Amino acid sequence: MKHLYLFCIFILFGNAFLLAQGSEDLLDILGDEPNQNYAEATFKGTRLINMQTNEASAEGVLQFMFQHRFGPFNNDFLYNFFGLDVAQVRLGLDYAISDRLSLGVGRSSYNKTSDFTLKYRLLRQQTGKKNIPLSITLFSAAYLNMTRRSFTPDFSDRLSYSHQLIFARKFSSSFSAMISPSLVHFNLVEFNAQPNSLFVLPVGGRFKLTRRFALTAEYALQSPRNFSVRQGVETPYYNALSVGVDIETGGHVFQLHVTNSRGLIDPDWMVKTTGNWLEGGLFFGFNISRVFTLKEPKRPEVGW
Amino acid sequence: MLRFLFLIPICLVFSSISAQKFMTREGVIAFRGETILETIDPVSNQAGSVIDFEGGSLVVQVLQKSFRFRKALMEEHYNENYVHSDKYPRAVFKGNFSEKIDFRTPGTYAIKLSGTMEMHGVSRPISTLAEIIVQPDGKLSLESVFTISPEDYNIKIPGNVRDKIAEIFEVRMKAVYQPVQK
Repeated sequence: MKHLYLFCIFILFGNAFLLAQGSEDLLDILGDEPNQNYAEATFKGTRLINMQTNEASAEGVLQFMFQHRFGPFNNDFLYNFFGLDVAQVRLGLDYAISDRLSLGVGRSSYNKTSDFTLKYRLLRQQTGKKNIPLSITLFSAAYLNMTRRSFTPDFSDRLSYSHQLIFARKFSSSFSAMISPSLVHFNLVEFNAQPNSLFVLPVGGRFKLTRRFALTAEYALQSPRNFSVRQGVETPYYNALSVGVDIETGGHVFQLHVTNSRGLIDPDWMVKTTGNWLEGGLFFGFNISRVFTLKEPKRPEVGW
Repeated sequence: MLRFLFLIPICLVFSSISAQKFMTREGVIAFRGETILETIDPVSNQAGSVIDFEGGSLVVQVLQKSFRFRKALMEEHYNENYVHSDKYPRAVFKGNFSEKIDFRTPGTYAIKLSGTMEMHGVSRPISTLAEIIVQPDGKLSLESVFTISPEDYNIKIPGNVRDKIAEIFEVRMKAVYQPVQK
């Protein structure tokens, strides 16, 4: 009997307590959102300088990329108008079939090479129910060297390849880094002694100074070190070292940099870098990208 | 003995009144700002909201990253450069209304909401009208329209894109609520 009485009092007080609760506690009813939080914009573009980043366009986006490498600092720099007169160009187009898969084509003036690229985002860095500390992206490309030769090479002799696994992590909103174990393969080498396949380990990072301005740097280690033969002497190629800045405006990202590597595609910049930083074998360069949304993303129906 | 037993239904009635809360996790929130150069009109269908008729209060929260834009790059810029979603993941509205609404009788009720909106680390008072429609099946829906300005929430817009981003955005919310089961 007495228990029943207490029970009622308890319920009433319980209610009074509930009534006293403010809107603060209404939020508690909702609980935590189950949403996964993906690391967005680990890097600002699909390229850091020469390196591919883990980033790819969103589904339905066509990206146009315009890349330039000017002439060397240490060879008639002013006569060549800061290297502009002897600039090398790469134009590229890539289209994202899905948020994960992008396919692209490109053309470099250096060695008259056309490239065909595939980028697949295997894993995205995320927190939430599932925690994945880094992003992993696969990049694979075939390169067709279309220069005239003194002999008639087989079609396959003109091909080279690059395959990379890109491990990237956004450590904070300002600092991101990546490391991309890569394999570069030439079907035909220039000299017998040259290796056909080379492992390369590029590392790169960016540090944002402001919301729209970031410093970037990258370095690529080769194993074995590639070399050319000049006048009978084996001359090793250098490891590529590049530093630059990212400047973001509304729809563009401008990437300006200084690099010792003149090539714009992996078989050139990764394993055939000719410039020496200490001797001024450097090149100004820039990448500009512009994206076009060909297919709008799927969005919830609004109904008004 | 019997004298006390009659207290039980009274207690239960009181407890059922306090349970008169309605909620949703699938509210639709869209905002729209138009300039000659660009229309920005993202939408989220993941807004969470609770209405408490006893206290006359309403809360709404939405994750910034749940807004879907017409262009993926816009969405990235919104989260990265404007509202800083990693630091301020959600926008929250907490408001009150004084109208008494009989949520057991189907019909349309107008309420005047006043409260605060917190977004991008800034809290500002906001008041708006909303319409609550009690449906015959016991669910109810809420609709509201109001305007906000990015500047009010310390969202900086650089000069070179000033012409592309509206100064005033119209915010619309529409949600269907279910009774909260205790």
